[in-house]
Amino acid sequence: MKMFSRGLVSTALIAGVLVVHTSAVAGTIRIGATMRMISENGQKYGQMVADEFDLINKNGGINGNTIELSLLNDECKSDKGVANANKFIHEQKVHLIIGSTCSSVSLPIVDVTAQARVPQIIPHSTNAKITQKGSAWVFRVPVSGRYYAGVNAKYTGENIGTKIAYICAADAASQNDCDAMQDQMRRQFNAEPAYVAQVQEKEVDFRTHMLKIKSANVDGIMIAALAETMSRALLQSYEAGIGKSVRRIGSSSASNAPVPKIAGDAVLGVFYTAAYAAADKRPIAQLFNQMVRDKYGIHAPDHDFSQAYDLVRIVEIALHRANLNLSDGSLAADRTAIRDAIASVDGYRGLASGPISFCAAPTPQCRDGNKTPVLIHYTKGGEEFETEVLARVPMPINFGLE
Amino acid sequence: MNLVVTLQGVGGFFGRMERTHPLLPWLLAIVALLPLPLILSGLFNDYYVYLANRICIFIMLSVGLNIVKGFCGQVTVGHVGLYAIGAVTAAILSTNFGFSFWMTLPAAIFIAGLAGVVVGVPSFRLEGAYLALATLGLGESVRIMISVTPYLGSSTGLGGIPAPSAFGFTFDNFTRYYYLVMPIALVGIYLSFAILRSATGRAFQAIREDTIAAAAAGINVRKYKLLAFVISAMYAGCAGAMFAHMRPGYIHHNNFTIIEMVTLLLMIVLGGIGHVWGGVIGAIIVTIIYDQTKDFYFYQPLLFGSSMVLLVIFMPQGIGGLIDRYIVTQRFIDARREAGDGTS
Repeated sequence: MKMFSRGLVSTALIAGVLVVHTSAVAGTIRIGATMRMISENGQKYGQMVADEFDLINKNGGINGNTIELSLLNDECKSDKGVANANKFIHEQKVHLIIGSTCSSVSLPIVDVTAQARVPQIIPHSTNAKITQKGSAWVFRVPVSGRYYAGVNAKYTGENIGTKIAYICAADAASQNDCDAMQDQMRRQFNAEPAYVAQVQEKEVDFRTHMLKIKSANVDGIMIAALAETMSRALLQSYEAGIGKSVRRIGSSSASNAPVPKIAGDAVLGVFYTAAYAAADKRPIAQLFNQMVRDKYGIHAPDHDFSQAYDLVRIVEIALHRANLNLSDGSLAADRTAIRDAIASVDGYRGLASGPISFCAAPTPQCRDGNKTPVLIHYTKGGEEFETEVLARVPMPINFGLE
Repeated sequence: MNLVVTLQGVGGFFGRMERTHPLLPWLLAIVALLPLPLILSGLFNDYYVYLANRICIFIMLSVGLNIVKGFCGQVTVGHVGLYAIGAVTAAILSTNFGFSFWMTLPAAIFIAGLAGVVVGVPSFRLEGAYLALATLGLGESVRIMISVTPYLGSSTGLGGIPAPSAFGFTFDNFTRYYYLVMPIALVGIYLSFAILRSATGRAFQAIREDTIAAAAAGINVRKYKLLAFVISAMYAGCAGAMFAHMRPGYIHHNNFTIIEMVTLLLMIVLGGIGHVWGGVIGAIIVTIIYDQTKDFYFYQPLLFGSSMVLLVIFMPQGIGGLIDRYIVTQRFIDARREAGDGTS
């Protein structure tokens, strides 16, 4: 009998939790964020977004309203990201969704937000297909992968050579970077890849590939992978005896702090395109670097930090502009107002390598906000790494869509 | 006492209905579950209907896994690979060849069943931890193959998988999809009971209890082991197809990792290995607890990992075993009491 009573109590508790979760407070701007928070850096990106919204609330909120942020981990898995988005939309009745970090999660969420008519703003995902789906509800703060490839290919072909080997990891962003780079090398220089290796997202042994690449006598190696995987590949390229004269080209995740930290001196000379350079001399960038160093213990923030920060600022601007009623009955109208307010952001200049502009049309030209990749290379490895900006390259809005 | 009476009453009621017609209780169950989306939407919101759909898919998976692991006693850690095969088959057939759900579903079940043969063959010569390792390798190799094959979705996944439709009715939202997955899940449970009560089910249980004794009794051990793997794989294929066609119609190799496999194992261990209802109970409880602890994402892996360890130590038969023991104990107490009454 005791057991039965316990069962009843547990059921009542679960039901209680469910009821509590369905409550919604009027006069509050509800935002749901789904991010990959399974790494130390991933958790810090999420924490920074939460801290920045807290700061807005402490400074008086948005036109007298406060922001309520719900932050969930999607572990870079599409089913969990979709579940989070559905939870935000139907249970928490959010006005805006932020996310995800991973392209493979952002891609299906675009369909969910489009169907539910909820604005979605993306902090990190670079896969070009995200904005090519034609959703009127999606905005991308980071530079699209199609731009990165164009800049990388141009610099490589003109300064290094056209005989390039590729190591492509199986995550969506890296695969996209790798494919786009090969495509651009063909288009710009009529150059076919000298060697292509498809590897696992968390591959640990690249030595066989590196030995083959060494014997292929290439001009450069593009390593498109997430930070830890890229670091291992860089280290093993030197272990295999590939000299410094063969330049290493990184995908956009080369900007992530773990790369120089793990790869050490193997990162020297590696160049990559990103949306932010910690070497940026502007006062706003220096202040940001200092803030991230003090608050999150990161020596030099990568572009995922800067993009998350820029995203919060853009959301803040849009929310100030949007005419919100914030009642239960005005949810659909408030969501539309926020979408239109984000679409009206034009020429925002924050930490990003170039101005971020959106517009109303549901096209990549309108919804890929930042069109200025910055070309960077490492001048010092290790914990206290240093980088140097080689060039800022504003791209034509139609680039990569032909 | 009251619980036993209630359970016996419910059991007796269903038993009487089953004697009228074997399918009657199941048809009644479908009718009873029809208003669930309305209740969930009314009491809570549409998200819980979405959760109910996910639970139905997990029920298919865990009930299927229970056949090979619970009924037949074969250790398998590659079930999620078969789930992936079902999902990818349905996705490719619908997006690349324009097949409807009604064709992709049987195709996914068939292809997963064939893959079940491959997973089952090592069980002829391997047992315990070695069989677990072999099935783990096969399951993980499926995921890796998907992740590096552009045709199978590779890193960007397979999207644009259409929602099922029939006679102009499209199952394109949570409530509509519920009316597809719920009956399929109930059919899965019914078939699982049917297998358990059949000669095949008894052969499975004989193999689970003692392989040598089963062989000595004339049971073709290899045949039945393979059959258990194939049936279990067909359940996984069905679940995979239902997952692929559920909105937003997108699958990615990251949906089929070892973490998903461990979650699936937790469902059947919690519910009770060898109990059909155990898989159902486990799927419901684990899905709800996972959802309700989402806010504590830092501690979720710890919570689920430690739950698994504690369950194996303190409740190895799961909730199903607990209920069985409770009923048996109560019956024993009742019998003793009646015997006592008779002598006094």
